Amino acid sequence: MSVPFRPIMSALLRNRTGAFLVAFQISIALAVLVNAVYIVKQRVDRIGRPTGMDVENIFVVSSSGFAQDFHYPTSVEEDLDYFRRTPGIVAATAVNGVPLSGGGSSTVLNVTPQAPKVLDTYNYFDVDENGAKALGLNVIAGRWFTKEEIAPAPEELRDTFQPNIIMTKALADKLFPNGDALGKTVYDFQQRPAVIVGIVERMLGSWIRQDDSGLVFYQPRKPYGPNVRYIVRTEPGQRDTMMSKVEKDMAEYNRKRAIDSVRPLTDIMNRTYLADRNMGIFLVTTTALLLAITSLGIFGLATFNVSTRTKQIGTRRAVGARRGDIVRYFLVENWMISTAGVVLGCILALAAGYWLSLEYEFPRVDLYYLILGVLALWGIGIAAAWQPARRAASISPAIATRNI
Amino acid sequence: MIGYYFRLAIASFRRTPGLTALMVAAIAVGIGVCVMAMTIYHSMSSNPIWWKNDQLYSVTLDNWSPNEPADKKRPSLPPPQLTFRDAEAILRSDIPKHTVIMYKSAGIVSGEGPRGPIAPINTRTRVTTGDFFPMFDVPFLYGGGWDRRADMGPEPVMVVSAELNRKLFGGIDSVGRTVRWNDREFRIVGVMDDWNPMPKFYDVNNDPFEETEHVFVPWSWGKTLNLLSYGNTNCWKPDDFSSFETFLNSECVWVQGWVELPDPATRERMQSFLDTYVANERRAGRFERPNNNRLTDVAQWLKDQEVVESDNRVLVGLSFAFLTVCLINTVGLLLAKFLNAASISGVRRALGASRRDLFVQHMVEVGVVAAVGALAGLGLGALGLKGFRQLYEYTQTGVLNRAGGLQALAHIDGTSVSIAIALAVVATFAAGIYPAWRIGRIHPGTYLKNQ
Repeated sequence: MSVPFRPIMSALLRNRTGAFLVAFQISIALAVLVNAVYIVKQRVDRIGRPTGMDVENIFVVSSSGFAQDFHYPTSVEEDLDYFRRTPGIVAATAVNGVPLSGGGSSTVLNVTPQAPKVLDTYNYFDVDENGAKALGLNVIAGRWFTKEEIAPAPEELRDTFQPNIIMTKALADKLFPNGDALGKTVYDFQQRPAVIVGIVERMLGSWIRQDDSGLVFYQPRKPYGPNVRYIVRTEPGQRDTMMSKVEKDMAEYNRKRAIDSVRPLTDIMNRTYLADRNMGIFLVTTTALLLAITSLGIFGLATFNVSTRTKQIGTRRAVGARRGDIVRYFLVENWMISTAGVVLGCILALAAGYWLSLEYEFPRVDLYYLILGVLALWGIGIAAAWQPARRAASISPAIATRNI
Repeated sequence: MIGYYFRLAIASFRRTPGLTALMVAAIAVGIGVCVMAMTIYHSMSSNPIWWKNDQLYSVTLDNWSPNEPADKKRPSLPPPQLTFRDAEAILRSDIPKHTVIMYKSAGIVSGEGPRGPIAPINTRTRVTTGDFFPMFDVPFLYGGGWDRRADMGPEPVMVVSAELNRKLFGGIDSVGRTVRWNDREFRIVGVMDDWNPMPKFYDVNNDPFEETEHVFVPWSWGKTLNLLSYGNTNCWKPDDFSSFETFLNSECVWVQGWVELPDPATRERMQSFLDTYVANERRAGRFERPNNNRLTDVAQWLKDQEVVESDNRVLVGLSFAFLTVCLINTVGLLLAKFLNAASISGVRRALGASRRDLFVQHMVEVGVVAAVGALAGLGLGALGLKGFRQLYEYTQTGVLNRAGGLQALAHIDGTSVSIAIALAVVATFAAGIYPAWRIGRIHPGTYLKNQ
């Protein structure tokens, strides 16, 4: 079975406007498809990263002391005691910032006492002895903080560096690439030392829209006030009931502060990822519409070609062409148009990819995506031309005799 | 003649309703997506105080580390905020007509409302000098701002947003009433009208699409009450942070500084004031980086601080690619449609219609399709923007904070409507010219033979 490329080509060149328009549409569609899929894939990966925490069962209480006789250190202890006594709550800790929220604190960590010229800062959390349990962290080496290590809540602004710290494996491996971080000493911006006493499997920190948000360390101390956040972890399935109870109780037993908010950690995370999620929705919707419109264009051109060539098809059928030959003719013609479009599309896709890599500072689009995109558009082209080609095949040879 | 062409166009639509609907749909979807992307981009990148663009200047000084710039990606820029001590030094200059130094904070509003005691609300607060109000042309419902003496006192006065005034006092003229803020009595001196500049140009580094604060208190309350910034605080130097007092003296940047300089001469004087100030500080061991004292106007400021995110530029690019495909599609469909009916045109040509007549006739047809498509596109764009608002909807209980700044962006304004109409007209006529011209070139004989 041979495919008559040459006659198809010369027929195409005779009527090139329509074919050119469709090829151009296909090329833009390919460029958009490849790059949109690449961006969406990155966002989906980002949102889908494991957090390292028991996100589903955690809620966050934000409390602001405001009365002039409000005593912050007492209040923190009172609140933590309340959490400890309340059944349904697994554990709670006071923190200086909320993981996954988009806001937090970072400070310098060095591996040598001599400060290097360019300082690297890392996200940190003030936590207490219940921190690992409250966040649902997995300590894979060393230990978590003990009650005796925790520095109490300060009355005033404070500037300390605790002698023991814990960090995520990601940060430990970054600072000590040999994997022997446990027991090593690190230094803060004033060259004060701290020993790494434990390593946590993973946790995403505050700035989850960044790729390095897993570089996190923990300091055994209660945060500065008078505004404080508590991470509260409940028994599975009890989060929502506990949230309303806690909000009511806390507002009642201490009226010298305001309970600003009680929110599930999942809400906080979704809020932070909102822009990524929405970008994904926009891209997927627009790309799907674009592909639909392109296939309509392919379908329209094929239909038009079939309808203007009715007589010729009839003639071919009359002189012996089989249905299969007619279908093949139109599919091949369409494939040739798609291929022209795809070739131009590859150039456009790479150009668009280059522009995007400048905008986003991420590596240029993978060739792998380009190949998949080419295959997808070939498939779309054939699918869109299928029905018109079948219709062409059903033209009766009698048409030719009737009209001439 | 045009009336007749209209009737011909209608007749032509009747002949191929499916194809016609497809063309209208393609144009409508293309325009709709473009309108949506353009509207959002337009409001994100607009200058909300353009009428004072040559008078308002953001003040930045480069006090950063001698070893690295404040922003490694944009090393030529000084840090976007000021240290507390530099901010206060700028406030001491009497060169500017107005000087604003300020930061974002929060305070608890409590006390008696119109219907009994109100539950304490954590309220976004701006600690600022009183020049904020005249300098940024803030509209007031009642009363006004405060003077420099109140800033320095600091006097217990405050300006509240219209929304907080509705919440606390049911929207009446509350000037002179007192409100408890952080458990202290404050007297309301002004109630702002609704004012939500987007982007929030005066503090773009702490969420440029956040709503305006609901409480404004005089500058020195920050120091009096040890109020830290609720926005970004960035430090580079191992300073002493053991008390609020020493923190205020550190090299940490967290204060926004703006000046109003009515003419170029004043601007020159302010620039040399900054240069002299920095030179003096440098002698005292500060400012180890090269001189980079900037007075930046609002438009440039929004650009420098990259208020419009990459995502938005990409979406605009995408929407134009999309519109292009829709238009190419329309060209193809128009061509198919016109050529399908070529025999009719052949007859008209044979009966004496000139090429020009055929061109005009077909352009009328294109015009009708364009108009309907553009109208439908505007509708789609509006729907899309509604969807956009929904995507950004979230609530935060207990806090007086709708935080829906991005939602406010998604409204169709006059500019976007005119952009849409212009886009539709230009685009579709561009798409229609080739098919309409092409149909005039057909040879009547070919088609007459076939009848």
